[in-house]
Amino acid sequence: MKAEILPPLTATVHVKPRGWKSGFKLWLPLFLVWLLALPLFILALPFLFVAALVFGVRFWASIRGALAVLHAFHGTSVEVEKADTRVFINLH
Amino acid sequence: MTDNRRQILDMLASGKLTAEEAERLIAALERNGAGATALSESDRTKYLRVLVDTKDPLDGPTKVNVRVPMQLLRAGVRLTGVIPASAREEVNAALRKQGITFDINNVTPQNLEELIEQLRELTVDVDNENTKVRVFCE
Repeated sequence: MKAEILPPLTATVHVKPRGWKSGFKLWLPLFLVWLLALPLFILALPFLFVAALVFGVRFWASIRGALAVLHAFHGTSVEVEKADTRVFINLH
Repeated sequence: MTDNRRQILDMLASGKLTAEEAERLIAALERNGAGATALSESDRTKYLRVLVDTKDPLDGPTKVNVRVPMQLLRAGVRLTGVIPASAREEVNAALRKQGITFDINNVTPQNLEELIEQLRELTVDVDNENTKVRVFCE
């Protein structure tokens, strides 16, 4: 698999709940989600292929494009801070 | 001849670019000065940033800071390449119906790069009594 189509493999989540002096950090192994999703994706491939034929969509180009979109999520971060609460999510 | 100009001409020769696209790219190079060189990877616009700062009298202040990679925009535009021609026409028709004269067929990776480069200079600031929104590229 080329590196340009690898989706984000991990995510870090920093949470500082209200009233806490300091927060905690979670490391989420997203690659496990992708591993679990892979068999479902493989099962769905024939249906996707038929759907692509019916709607006139280029099948492999669509798969590559969808993987590229997933790959592009690398570096996305969202931070929300309200009063004494803070949540920060970063995709790696 | 700069490397960029040579690259554009090579792409034109190999049919990857139309004459019109090549002309636009060369014009863009010239606009950037005679000694223009390609933007290095570090100079390229990498992220779209959205900052929201609200002050709710009841809940207090809320800050949201979102960083979206420009690569996502590029990947999304490339995905438009797989839209069937009939669907493209429907999209164009729907846009025209809304008074937007925009041809989705013109959204190409080359045009997108130009657009993203122009976005470097763009900052959108919305400021009202309780809310500040700032959108910019970095």
